[in-house]
Amino acid sequence: MLHVIPVLWAALFTIATAWSLGCLFFRTLSLPLQEWEDRLLAYIAGISCLSAIMFLLCATRLVRRGILLALGLAIIGYAIYSGVFRFSGNFQSPPTRKMPALPNKALAPLPTIWRWIFGLGFAVFTYFGFFNALAPEHSSDGMSYHLAEVAKYSRAHGFLRITTDVYANLSQGIELVYLFAFDFGRHSAATLVHYSFLIALVFLILCYGRRIGRPDVGAAAALFTYACPIVLRDATIAYVDVALAANLFALFYLLQIWDENRNSKLLLPIGLLAGFGYEIKYTAIVAVPYAVGFVIWKLLRSREPDPKSGRNAVWRPALIVSAVAISCILPWMVKDWIEVANPVSPFANRIFPNPYVHVSFEENWRASLATYGLASRSQIPLQVTVQGDHLEGFLGPLFLLSPLALIALRYRAGRQLLLAAAIFGVTYWGNIGTRFLIPVVPFISLALALVLSDVKWLLPIVAVAHCLTCMPDLYRHYCAPGAYRIENAPVKAALRIQPEAAYLGQDPTIQVDRMVEANVPPGETIFSVNQGGQAYLPRDLLVGYESASNEVVQDILWTPVVRDYQPTRILKFDFPPRALRKIRIVQTANVPDHQWSVSELRIFTNGPSGSGRAGMTPVELPRAPTWRLTARPNPWDVQLAFDNSPVTRWRSWQPAEPGMYIEVDLGAAQPVSSVVVECSSDTGPLKIKLDGQSDATSSSAWNTISDQPIESRQPIRYSLRLAATSEIKARGIHYLLSLPDNPGADDLRRYARYWGLTQVASLGDVRLFHIE
Amino acid sequence: MVLIRLGVVFSVLLLAACDRPPDVFPPPEQRHPVVAYNPAPEAMMVEMSDPDAALHIVKDIYGQSDPSWRWTAQNPTVKLLVLSTEHLRLHSDFAIWDTGFKSTGPLEISFLVNGRVLDKIRYTTPGVKQFDAPVPPDWLAPDADTTLAMSLDKIYVAPKDGARFGVILVRLGLKQ
Repeated sequence: MLHVIPVLWAALFTIATAWSLGCLFFRTLSLPLQEWEDRLLAYIAGISCLSAIMFLLCATRLVRRGILLALGLAIIGYAIYSGVFRFSGNFQSPPTRKMPALPNKALAPLPTIWRWIFGLGFAVFTYFGFFNALAPEHSSDGMSYHLAEVAKYSRAHGFLRITTDVYANLSQGIELVYLFAFDFGRHSAATLVHYSFLIALVFLILCYGRRIGRPDVGAAAALFTYACPIVLRDATIAYVDVALAANLFALFYLLQIWDENRNSKLLLPIGLLAGFGYEIKYTAIVAVPYAVGFVIWKLLRSREPDPKSGRNAVWRPALIVSAVAISCILPWMVKDWIEVANPVSPFANRIFPNPYVHVSFEENWRASLATYGLASRSQIPLQVTVQGDHLEGFLGPLFLLSPLALIALRYRAGRQLLLAAAIFGVTYWGNIGTRFLIPVVPFISLALALVLSDVKWLLPIVAVAHCLTCMPDLYRHYCAPGAYRIENAPVKAALRIQPEAAYLGQDPTIQVDRMVEANVPPGETIFSVNQGGQAYLPRDLLVGYESASNEVVQDILWTPVVRDYQPTRILKFDFPPRALRKIRIVQTANVPDHQWSVSELRIFTNGPSGSGRAGMTPVELPRAPTWRLTARPNPWDVQLAFDNSPVTRWRSWQPAEPGMYIEVDLGAAQPVSSVVVECSSDTGPLKIKLDGQSDATSSSAWNTISDQPIESRQPIRYSLRLAATSEIKARGIHYLLSLPDNPGADDLRRYARYWGLTQVASLGDVRLFHIE
Repeated sequence: MVLIRLGVVFSVLLLAACDRPPDVFPPPEQRHPVVAYNPAPEAMMVEMSDPDAALHIVKDIYGQSDPSWRWTAQNPTVKLLVLSTEHLRLHSDFAIWDTGFKSTGPLEISFLVNGRVLDKIRYTTPGVKQFDAPVPPDWLAPDADTTLAMSLDKIYVAPKDGARFGVILVRLGLKQ
């Protein structure tokens, strides 16, 4: 049980550091907030500040336990010394020497019945939430990337240039805060920090209800959000969705307060939270136009002149919000720009072509996240509210009533809430997983509660009913069996009465991690088609789809067993011998369903141009070091079409389009009589032509030599397996992890010797091979 | 906080130079796939001592009885991948158990490749035996599964428990 103490300490230390930072920040600004609002909003803002400090420490590789400890203690100590934690009890912002407390709207008290309902509901779901968050972390995305990157940064004491994992390119504002906690309390400490966002969010919702004079609405909405199964599940694992929801709600809250009192000092935290949304998750970029647009719109409508200039002061506040938000966003863009040549990696790869993420990956990923394999979008309402198996979680049946929230448009607060929900929900269609609705849950909860409060006694009844339907013992009767949810409160595991190793050992992913760690020496790289629990694996695991180079390795691995990948299709351009300096094979067809690929491109000669020796057997021109090769798109893989290996190929990694080409500069004009393009069958109905250039001067135009290649088939008469593993080994990968559902897993298992593999360990049907 | 973030931007810019990845390359090192990449011919031999032999056994070969051999039933069959079709020989090392032989008498064993009988031999004595015969290339397909089998005309049935035993198999496969 003592093992839980470092976890709790690390989480509390992180929370206290962030809170102290936020309180100091707010105290400096002397914001006109009620005391509870001040403390809660300061925590969210403090997280953003701590994240910024961690970015700086990561960039300078100064993430060391001693430094973090000293930093945290200094911040907390200074905050205590400054008196920012003193509660006055009157719910008014404490005055400062610079600025006296501003008169501000008092928060309405919570009626007794709601104290009971909220208190009881909060206690019950805190029991489930706290013990799940405290239990050893083993969530899918938490292990595979959120904390996997954190663990890597922790080992490296800062940022690493990771080009083999697209998830490392996403903004990681919250992960850097997790890193602070992780360095002291490992995985569960990070999860507890995420859970703290939910607590802050719930009390912010409650405060908002009291601020608008509807404490019943606030209490009910807080319960709607807190008990919501996907919200509680997400908050108790090392994801970031609830942190984002808390950040966006805090932004909304600050904007509402600013709208009431127009205190320009609020613009700084507003800009900070708007930008921090992007730092948490790209999809929250909408928070920036929302915040800026809100400020501009309100100022334009109020037509208040600037006391100094006399002009309508619109642009300065908007600029402050924009500048602060951009200052949050830019570091991440610059980091990606430097590391992976794309400021918004892994997206926009057509605009920012780079060697690290394929366009095809991005397009397939987007398509997959936009459908999750659902046959129709009409399935979404039931999936996200009660079923939750395909869309990975559910909100609870209460949210079937969400359309009723539109009635809240009658109220000013309702319009504000629904506007925020609409804006923050606009990116949902890019990823229809239920947890991508979490940022709008607080807004819908409040709007719905506003509507339901119009009927006497309906709101408490609905709130209690919602809590009951969100109890794990109850929802297991209506949700789909595979729905992602909390199933119980693992108290023994949380308190470490059941040892962490034993608890984690029940997870098949962790079992595989342990097998790999026990059999692969440190410093070695393992290739796997599937994600694993990298957060617990101190080895470099390359996952097939997670980067361009990994996809190439996967392509090589599958070529021996997928006949359509093998270079059996031969396209030959025969023409009278002519002197050529440059050669281009140009794609002329638009084939939306197929990529273009070239396994080998061979250039032949049968003697000097014009020598009349057309009858001679053509001889392949040896590939001289003076040749220069390029391609459009994906020039970075062009060498794969010139390596004489049947298991490697240049691929466009995006649908074939006219104008794509592979180009060879021979260094000097040479006699050429034929060009052979070896392709695979999966390239589809392609059309290519051969262009040539006689010299390299800019005035020399490309001439089409032939657009009628002769096509033939060339069966592969030998096994490509050893060729494939040799190529993979040449890339520094010495281990393969094969899961039973992987394509080719059975072939690897049965014909390990043909692949040049030795099985070094197995766990059920999961096998670990060493490449000999 | 704005200053910190601006500092972050500029420090990151200073710490790393912006370098656009090159997009023109010389030819790479050349591979020699056919010569270098085919595994050794022994890869097409199923050794009964190999722990992975079970992956290739289709039927009628019992679990490992000894580190180096296994009992068979009447039609021991293995499946393996043919790397190339030229100059291949079906090869089997096995033994006829003398106690069983007393009961069964001479054994006639057919050797099959993809279901086609390559040869049929009558063994009139017990003891260690070896079969080795060339396989016509057109009976095989490269880089495809091939079944190799022995078919015994009779087997020994243990009087105590009715267990059925064919031959003692050491290896069965193709060699060049």
